Amino acid sequence: MPEGKICNKQPINTVEQLQLTLADKSGIKYYEEMEHLDVDTDKLWASIQKTMKSRTKTWLEICAHCGLCAESCFLYQVNGKVPTQVPSYKIQSTLGEMVKRKGKVDNAFMRHAMEVAWSQCTCCNRCGMYCPHGIDVGVMFSYLRGLLYSQGFVPWELKIGSGMHRIYRAQMDVTQEDWVETCEWMAEETEEEWPGLEIPVDKKDADIMYTCNAREPKHYPEDIAEAAILFHVAGENWTVPSEGWEQTSLSMFAGDWECCKDNVQNVYNAIERLNPKRCIGTECGHAHRATVIEGPYWVGREDGLPPRPYIHYVEWLAEALRTGKLKIDPAKRIKEPVTLQDSCNYVRNHGLKMITREIIEYIVEPGYFVEMSPNREHNYCCGGGGGFNGIGKFRPQRNVALRKKMEQIIDTGAKLVIAPCHNCWDAIRDLEEEYHIGIRWSFLKPLIISMLEVPEHLKPKEEE
Amino acid sequence: MFKKILLATTGSTASFGAARVAFDMAKRYGSEVTVFHVLGVPTKAYSQIVNDVRTGEEVEVDEDYRSWVEEEIRTTYAKQLEGLDNVRIILTTGVPSREILREARSIDADLIVMGASSGNSANYYRGYPGSTFQKVAKAAGCPILTVHRESASYWGGFSKILFGTDFSKQSLSAFLFALKTARELDCELTIFHALDISGKVLDQNEIEENLIAVRERIRSTYSPLMGDFKNYDIEVWEGAPYVEIVKLAREKQVDLVVLAHHTRELDPEKARIGSTVEQVIVRANCPVVSVSKPEKV
Ligand code: SF4
Ligand code: SF4
Ligand code: SF4
Repeated sequence: MPEGKICNKQPINTVEQLQLTLADKSGIKYYEEMEHLDVDTDKLWASIQKTMKSRTKTWLEICAHCGLCAESCFLYQVNGKVPTQVPSYKIQSTLGEMVKRKGKVDNAFMRHAMEVAWSQCTCCNRCGMYCPHGIDVGVMFSYLRGLLYSQGFVPWELKIGSGMHRIYRAQMDVTQEDWVETCEWMAEETEEEWPGLEIPVDKKDADIMYTCNAREPKHYPEDIAEAAILFHVAGENWTVPSEGWEQTSLSMFAGDWECCKDNVQNVYNAIERLNPKRCIGTECGHAHRATVIEGPYWVGREDGLPPRPYIHYVEWLAEALRTGKLKIDPAKRIKEPVTLQDSCNYVRNHGLKMITREIIEYIVEPGYFVEMSPNREHNYCCGGGGGFNGIGKFRPQRNVALRKKMEQIIDTGAKLVIAPCHNCWDAIRDLEEEYHIGIRWSFLKPLIISMLEVPEHLKPKEEE
Repeated sequence: MFKKILLATTGSTASFGAARVAFDMAKRYGSEVTVFHVLGVPTKAYSQIVNDVRTGEEVEVDEDYRSWVEEEIRTTYAKQLEGLDNVRIILTTGVPSREILREARSIDADLIVMGASSGNSANYYRGYPGSTFQKVAKAAGCPILTVHRESASYWGGFSKILFGTDFSKQSLSAFLFALKTARELDCELTIFHALDISGKVLDQNEIEENLIAVRERIRSTYSPLMGDFKNYDIEVWEGAPYVEIVKLAREKQVDLVVLAHHTRELDPEKARIGSTVEQVIVRANCPVVSVSKPEKV
C-alpha cells in the first residue's frame, strides 16, 4: 500500500483530516498503516541532493568515529552506555546510511530511522560542543526529521501537532477568537486586584509586542495574566497581536519545514502590522529558538534577524529588575535551596546563560541558590525536548531520559526548581509524577509577582 | 435566581453531597444544570494523555474513554437525574480550577456547586499549587456553593440562612446574595459577626461595649439595604469566627451559610490556616456559599 488514509506523505491541512487522525486512538491504525507505507526513493534522493548543505555532508564525511561525543549525550548515559546511543552512531546509521545508499532505503529502514530520530535524540545540541570537529548531531537530526516527515514517517502526535500549526497556526486548536477572548477574560479576572491593568490587543506602535506559547491560552491562561501584571507594574506600553501571537513550532520538531516558515511569517507579519519597538516572547525555550534563532532563516531574512529586536522573557525580566522597573521586596526573597533549569534552546542555542543568573541574584537570598552540575551551556536536556514529551509511542524511552535531570536535581538538594521554559516545566512536572522525588517547579512570573514591591498607586484601594 | 447551575464533579465521593444539593435545587427551582467534569490534567505537551482523576493512571482521552466516563456519571447520578430534563454533561481536559472558571464564564452560571476541597482525590490536584476551591472562589464572578458532607442537612429546601460578615467589601456582595436568596426563597436570615478577641486582653465590660458597637454597626450597614424585608435577626458573639459560625449554624439548624471569600493566598497550606470559609466548609453541617464578587448577586 503506497499511502494510508491516516499515515501518508500529505501534511494535515484540513480540519477533517485532523479529526480523522485524532480519532485514531494512540495512533494504532496510523502506525499499522505506516508499516505498509512506500518509500519514494527517487524523491528522497532528489530531496537530499537539493537540500543537504555542504556542512552536513562534510560532517558526515569527517566524523572520525572517535567516540568522544559519547559521554556528552545524556541519552547514552542513562541508557546503560550502549554503543547504539553514541551520537555519531545514531546519525551515521540513519542519515549517513540514507545518503550512502543514495536514498534507496526501505520501509523498515525508515521506521527504524524514525525511532532513532525521535526517541534517541532531543536535538539538544550538547554533543556538538564536545566533538573535536564541531560536528553537531542535533542539527543533523533536525535535518533527518525533515526527510522522514516528507515521506510520512513521523510520530503520530507530531503529525497532529504540525497539522494544528497548519490549520490554527498554533500548536493546539486555539483559534484567533479563543485567543482574544482569553485575553479579555484574563484582564477581567485580574483588573480588580490590579486596578488599571489591561491586555491591549492590536495596539499599534507600542514599545513591546508580547507573544506566547499556545499551551498558555489553552490550559494555563494565568500565565498571560501574570505577564500582564508584570508589564503593568513595570509601566510598559505593550500589546499582543490578535493574529501571530503563537510563537512555538511543533512543526520544527516534526520536521515540517514548510509549516515552520508559514508560522514564523505569521508572527513577523504581526510585527510589521503593529510596528512595535521590540518583541518579547514568553518563558519558552523552543518558541524562542523557532521565532528568533531559526525563524529568520526559514523566511529568508538576509540579516538573519527578526524584523524587530526580539528577546526572550528572561532578558526582559532581568532588564526590568536591573533598571528598577520592577522591585523585589528583600524580605520576600526565596530562602530555601533552589535550583535553575537551563533550557538548551536559549542557553546553548542563544547564549542566554548569565541573564537568568542575574535574575536569581535579585530573587534568591544569597547562599540559597544551588547550581546543577554541570550547568549553563553544559547543562543536560530536561529529558523531554525536541518533541519527546508529547510522543506516546516513545513514552517509556522518555521516562528513562528524565533520569538524568532527576539525578541532577537530587544532587542539588533543592526542592524548588525554577524552569523558565514551558517544555522543561512540563518535563520536570512529569519527572515528579513518574519518580516522586518531592520537588516543586515554577516559572519565573509567579515567583516574581509573589515578591514584588508594588508602588502604592498600583494597589487596589483596601477597605477594611 | 439559580437559573444556571454549574455542578463541578470530581467523580470522587467528596462531590456526592454537592451533586445531591445541586440536583435538589434544580428540581425545586427549575434550574438548568451543567454537570461538568474535568477528565484530567493534560500532561505531555500536545498529546491526548491525561492522568485520570480517579485512579491517577495515565489514560488517553478518546471517544471510548469519554463515553465511558459519561456513562459512569449517568449511572452515579441516575436517581437524581430522573425527572430532570435540563441537564447537560460536559467533559473536558485541563487544570480543574481553570476549566471550571472557563465554563462558568461561558455559560454565564449563576451558581457553581462543588465538593469541598479536602477529601478529594489527591491526584486531582497533584502538582498544582492552590486548591481548586481557593482558585475558583477567588476568581469566579458568581457565588460558589460547597458541600462537605454528604449528610449535610437540606431536606426541605432552604429555610434558614446564616450570613457571617467581617464588614469587608466582599462581605457586602455576600450580604446582597444572602438577602436576595432569603427574599426569594422566603427564608429567615441571621446576620452574624464574631468578635475576634484572641490576642487581646479585654475585661468583660469592654467586651460588652464592643459587642454593642458591632451590633450597631451591623444595623447601620445592612438595615438600610433591607427594604421591607423583616424576617431577620442579628447575632454578635465573641470568639474565633469559624468556630462561632459553625456553633451558631448548629444551634439554629440553618440550611445555608453565606460568607465572603477574600483570601488572596492560593497556597493551600497558608490559605487553609487563614481562611474562615474553608474552615466553615469543612466543619459545617450544611452547604456553604462563598461570594467574592458583586457581578452575579
Ligand atoms: S566526537 Fe565528533 S568525530 Fe568523534 S565520533 Fe563523535 S561526532 Fe564523530
Ligand atoms: S543532540 Fe543531544 S540528544 Fe542528540 S545526540 Fe547530541 S547530545 Fe544526544
Ligand atoms: S525542553 Fe528544555 S531542556 Fe529540554 S531540550 Fe528543550 S530547552 Fe532543552
